[in-house]
Amino acid sequence: MIRKFAALLILAGIAALFMELLFTYQPDPELNTTARYYADRTAADIGAANIVTAIVVTYRGLDTLGEVTVLFLAAAIVGLVLAQGRRKTAKERAVTPAGELLATGSLFLAPLIMLLGVYVFVNGHLTPGGGFQGGAIIASGMLLMLLADPLKHFSHRLIAMVEALSGMIYVAIGLLGIALAGGFLDSHILPNGELGALFSAGAIPLIYALIGLKVGAEFSAILADLSGTEEL
Amino acid sequence: MAHLAMATGFILILIGFYGALTNRNILRMIVAFTVADSGVNLVLVAVGYMRGRTAPILDNTVPAAEAAARIIDPVPQALVLTAIVIGVGVTALMLAYSYKLYEKKRTLDITKHTELKW
Amino acid sequence: MVSAIVIIAAALAAEFMLGLFNERWRAAAYGVTLFALGFMAFISAEWVWAFAVYDAQPAEIFTAGVQPPFAINLRMGFPEAALTLLINLTGLFSALYLRRALLEKGRAAMAVLLVFVMAQNGIVLTRDIFNLFVFFELAVIATGGLMLLSEDERAVAAGFKYLIVSQVISAFLLIGIIFSYHATGVLNFDLMRPEHFAAAQGGAIAFFLMFIAVVAELKPFPANGWALDIYESAHPAFAGLFSVASAAATLYAVDKLLVLGGPAWLPVATGIGVVTFIAANLLALPQRNDRRLLGYSSVAQIGLILAVLGQRDILGDHYFFVAGGLIAAHAAAKAGLYWLSGLVASRDIIGWSTLRGHPVLIFAFVSFIALLTGLPPFPGFYAKWELAVALAGSGRYILLALILIGALIEAGYLFRWLGYALKRDKPSEEISCDPSAVTAIIAALAAGWAFAYLWGDLSAHGNILHAVPLLFALSFLLLDWLPAWVKNTVAIVGMVGYFILNYTDYDPLRLIFAVIILIGGPVILLASYDAHGRRIGFYPSAMLMYAGLTQLIGATDFFSFFVAWELLTVGSYFLILRGKHSEPHALSYIIFSLGGAFLILTGFALAATVSPLPMFEALQHLTGETAGWVFLLLAVGFMTKTAAIGLHIWLPGAHAEAETDVSPMVSGILLKAGLYGLMVLMLAMGKQRFYGIDIVHVMLWVGALSALLGNLMAIFEEDAKRLLAYSSIGQMGYALFGLALMNHLGWVMALMFVINHYIYKSMLFLSAGGVAKRTGTRLMYKMGGLITLMPLSFIAVLIGIIAVSGVPPLSGFGGRWIFYNAILSAEHRLPMVITFFSGPIAFLYLFRLIHTVFLGQLKDENRRIKEAPFWVILPQMLYVGLLMAFAIVPGLALRRVDTYLNQFFPEGGLNWEGITITSQFGYWSPVSIMIIVCAIFGSLFAWLMFINRRAQKVKQFNIVFAAERPYRPETTHFAWNFFAPYRKALGFLVQPFVTRFWETIADILHTAGDIGRRLYTGNPQTYALHFLAFVVIVYFFWTGG
Repeated sequence: MIRKFAALLILAGIAALFMELLFTYQPDPELNTTARYYADRTAADIGAANIVTAIVVTYRGLDTLGEVTVLFLAAAIVGLVLAQGRRKTAKERAVTPAGELLATGSLFLAPLIMLLGVYVFVNGHLTPGGGFQGGAIIASGMLLMLLADPLKHFSHRLIAMVEALSGMIYVAIGLLGIALAGGFLDSHILPNGELGALFSAGAIPLIYALIGLKVGAEFSAILADLSGTEEL
Repeated sequence: MAHLAMATGFILILIGFYGALTNRNILRMIVAFTVADSGVNLVLVAVGYMRGRTAPILDNTVPAAEAAARIIDPVPQALVLTAIVIGVGVTALMLAYSYKLYEKKRTLDITKHTELKW
Repeated sequence: MVSAIVIIAAALAAEFMLGLFNERWRAAAYGVTLFALGFMAFISAEWVWAFAVYDAQPAEIFTAGVQPPFAINLRMGFPEAALTLLINLTGLFSALYLRRALLEKGRAAMAVLLVFVMAQNGIVLTRDIFNLFVFFELAVIATGGLMLLSEDERAVAAGFKYLIVSQVISAFLLIGIIFSYHATGVLNFDLMRPEHFAAAQGGAIAFFLMFIAVVAELKPFPANGWALDIYESAHPAFAGLFSVASAAATLYAVDKLLVLGGPAWLPVATGIGVVTFIAANLLALPQRNDRRLLGYSSVAQIGLILAVLGQRDILGDHYFFVAGGLIAAHAAAKAGLYWLSGLVASRDIIGWSTLRGHPVLIFAFVSFIALLTGLPPFPGFYAKWELAVALAGSGRYILLALILIGALIEAGYLFRWLGYALKRDKPSEEISCDPSAVTAIIAALAAGWAFAYLWGDLSAHGNILHAVPLLFALSFLLLDWLPAWVKNTVAIVGMVGYFILNYTDYDPLRLIFAVIILIGGPVILLASYDAHGRRIGFYPSAMLMYAGLTQLIGATDFFSFFVAWELLTVGSYFLILRGKHSEPHALSYIIFSLGGAFLILTGFALAATVSPLPMFEALQHLTGETAGWVFLLLAVGFMTKTAAIGLHIWLPGAHAEAETDVSPMVSGILLKAGLYGLMVLMLAMGKQRFYGIDIVHVMLWVGALSALLGNLMAIFEEDAKRLLAYSSIGQMGYALFGLALMNHLGWVMALMFVINHYIYKSMLFLSAGGVAKRTGTRLMYKMGGLITLMPLSFIAVLIGIIAVSGVPPLSGFGGRWIFYNAILSAEHRLPMVITFFSGPIAFLYLFRLIHTVFLGQLKDENRRIKEAPFWVILPQMLYVGLLMAFAIVPGLALRRVDTYLNQFFPEGGLNWEGITITSQFGYWSPVSIMIIVCAIFGSLFAWLMFINRRAQKVKQFNIVFAAERPYRPETTHFAWNFFAPYRKALGFLVQPFVTRFWETIADILHTAGDIGRRLYTGNPQTYALHFLAFVVIVYFFWTGG
């Protein structure tokens, strides 16, 4: 009771803070310095049609690298945490089998979902989407497979390999940026190409593909670990 | 429009925090945090919306030359992308930890896991 | 030089590469981890070298080939290089220590460690606020993950709580960032300006949210519950890394934000910092768990550094020196202490006594505690000095007072811990000597001393470690393996040699003190030849004390004086701690001494800002209210050392429980340091008024009361050494009285006193110690009749008490004669009377001393004892000779002083012609007195010898009891409760009011801490609530104020 009252009181204070922010907020009439630069220069410098992608992958590439590391970290720690528990083999675990609709449907849907995911990250520089979104979609395909067949065994080895390789190549591309172009994670190591074409925007498609694979692998690892904890 | 989205975001944050502060079940706390995260992301995206403008993607309707006059601010969108991913990572982590805590004490009540104090 | 981005890239490459390794190749993975950390440290070291030696310029590292603010950039400047080096080295040694845990958990854990270190580097290097957020998140998640390396089962819960609260914080950080972006239009630190925030509506709140979220990462009070659990349950190697690395990085991030926000935010940082410093230290008082204690201490230190960050405007050029010094001290000490805690099996602070028997580890422990408390020669000391001077110069007195109070509380619990480790019984569990752990600890120790030397070189006041006396004292650490007599000889030769080389530099006043310290000290050291074995720890401590004393009288500026003061305090603390039962007394000694030292520091800081002149001249030039304050602060500080009444409760225990040859040193020589300080102060400043009250008049009263009460308390003591200790309080009161008279004769008396007191107090303590050694007890009612068995001790005590009491012919009489002359030429009557009365009272306890110990009946258990050891007797006989010589020719020492004092007190001097001394009231002829007294004594003695032949011998047990059986045997001994009638009459004057007062204060602090710590209930929702409440409270303070 006291806790609820205290929480309400303090949140009222926070709400006051938020209200002040809300009521003094005026949207800008024009784009500010940074946004204007991106709006004007992206097409010419980076060659990506999706400006957000250009920002995420190239201009603020270091943030993305950090973000990828966050996921890597989360997957690693989830693995560490759950590895300490008892690992039941397929024979020991008794789980309810999935229904027939789910099992059959997933056979049909899972590849389509994977395909969608690949499409999303391959076209990240042209349409809304990108590596993270695509990777998430791929992982949802994996989730579907896990739900359909809870005892399905994913090769942790394969997932780890994919993850590690894509990560290392990503860092290597970044370092190549220093050597061959203007700085770390500069996407100009590959030619810009024509705006709107599939093979354009320098190294961005390559990077996003790597990110897509890495994110997909990491999410799948997390999901597999978490599903291993299911008990009846 | 921006104000509406922002207000919704703030309300979600407050609801999320309230839930996180008062629920004793760990899983409910985590869900409440997810709600709060959504609220934060909503606020992030709401900043930078400009009335009458469109998404920052260059194609036939928004050629490169007119971009500066036609698109909204792309930076908050880029930031939100990162924020969402980080939020997911932390949520996954918290779920794994809650399983571990459950395994040890067979209870999901947060008040039972307070041996470290004072 | 390698670009700084490679630090990040190398870490990332290593992390991802670890994924390629087979689960079984753990050793190889571990090797990669170590190599990556070493490489990162190497890059940082390269940059530090470039900045320090080649004066390089800060480098900007761009990414994406685009200029900021349109892309993220990093900067590698001198502070960044130094901080990343600190972080990477700590990471490397932590990884070494974590070897077993990492190999057990596998490559995922190693990757997490790498990410943690990389993230801290990123926080330091980045110039983009959103990038800062990403690195913070990485650090937080990695922290949660590294909790799994701990063997403590509660670590998982701690990690979970940490994640929960960090979620709330990151929500606020994100909101702050996005609205700041809206207000300024950029995300780059260098391009955001305070004006942008002021101009935009809601800009101030945006900055506030960002600022408060980053400050919350520093775990300020009360929003720090989540971190304490981490400190308590993590693997000790990681706890050390966490304390050092995340503190250093986050503090730098706050610094970057403060530059962004403008000067209006500095007071907020200071306020939060000071509150955290004091509250965390207070809450640490009742802690028994060693790691949790270190956690509270970490929070407190970080709070102090945050407060320093908020003082950026007044620190100017010294900013990085002060903040860096505190960070360096905190880093070496905390890492070292956490790593040490990994070796100790018990989690209670009492269990640290297992470290005894491992001299290197004990030395490390002592060094770490000294680093934390800011004792010289460590960087915290230099930082404290500069900070105090800057604060006093800007008039921020309250802040200075608060910081010093917090520092005193911190010293309290740290030294209590030290006492436990050095004095308590060893528990049964031995320490686990893990070689990687020991390597890490030694690295931290070396770093601490390296920082001490480095900060000394950087300081404007000269390197403490360059002073010869200090180096001489420290060399005894290396010589400690030699037998005691060798070290004793080296010590004696060293001190006498130093005196011979330097005595021409001293003016007559200082020469007296120099003789007492540098010649008198070796005389007492003669008694130390009696010791067997190696006496590890005695010589470094004793020489440290003497080094401090020597440097004290040679100091000409405030800084050197203060350094010397602290050195002698530390040395004497360790010396006193050696006594068998002296643990609580040593603790109260160090707390009172440090309190006095802080008062002196404040006084010096106030005076030093007025003028940069050497000490004496600077004090002379002070005027007005400042002068009054400075005089008061310094006077009270010095009086703590002389144990003036009200500040005296540490002395009886400390001097009584100390070893036989230590008590004369601390009572005979160390107390004089306070008198020396008072002399310098009063010579420089004369009489001072403080808000209309004449301070010197108050000191007169204090001196008189000390004399009276000290002597009164002495007469009721049963323990011989406690009696002598209380006697010292009385005698010091007497000397203070003489000084406060502020006339020529008063000062001559005080100086005569200084010499006399040294001689007879040392002598009395040596004999009491010698007797105690032979009889096995210090209680006087267990002795009696020892005159026949210990005649030499008897003679020494006899001569001693004749000298103290002022009976002719010895020098005490001369002192009393001068005293009467002094009174007659001064204005104050009542204090005079009180002091006058303390004389006969002193005689009471002196009589008790000799009567109950040497005269009376010999007890059965003492029939076979021998005279005290030769080496203990030798100095006593020397003193007897000195007393006789001084009685006949007092001019030997006093003549030059008398002339020297003429420049300060022109009138009222003594006339030293021939063998008679004349004053304006009368004359004193020592030689004639001696002849007369000897004649009287001789004739009486001869007559006694003649009569004695017809005396009838009575056997000892020729006493009859009248049917009552005494249940407590001591009640029938004539010596017990000797002065019972006086106790009935005057006992009310010696109620332990002062002791109760100080004990009540300590109790209040402890209770406050105990109540306060209940704030951390263990429930993470409470901790999240704390954080939100913290935000709301600071917000309301900020908008209201």
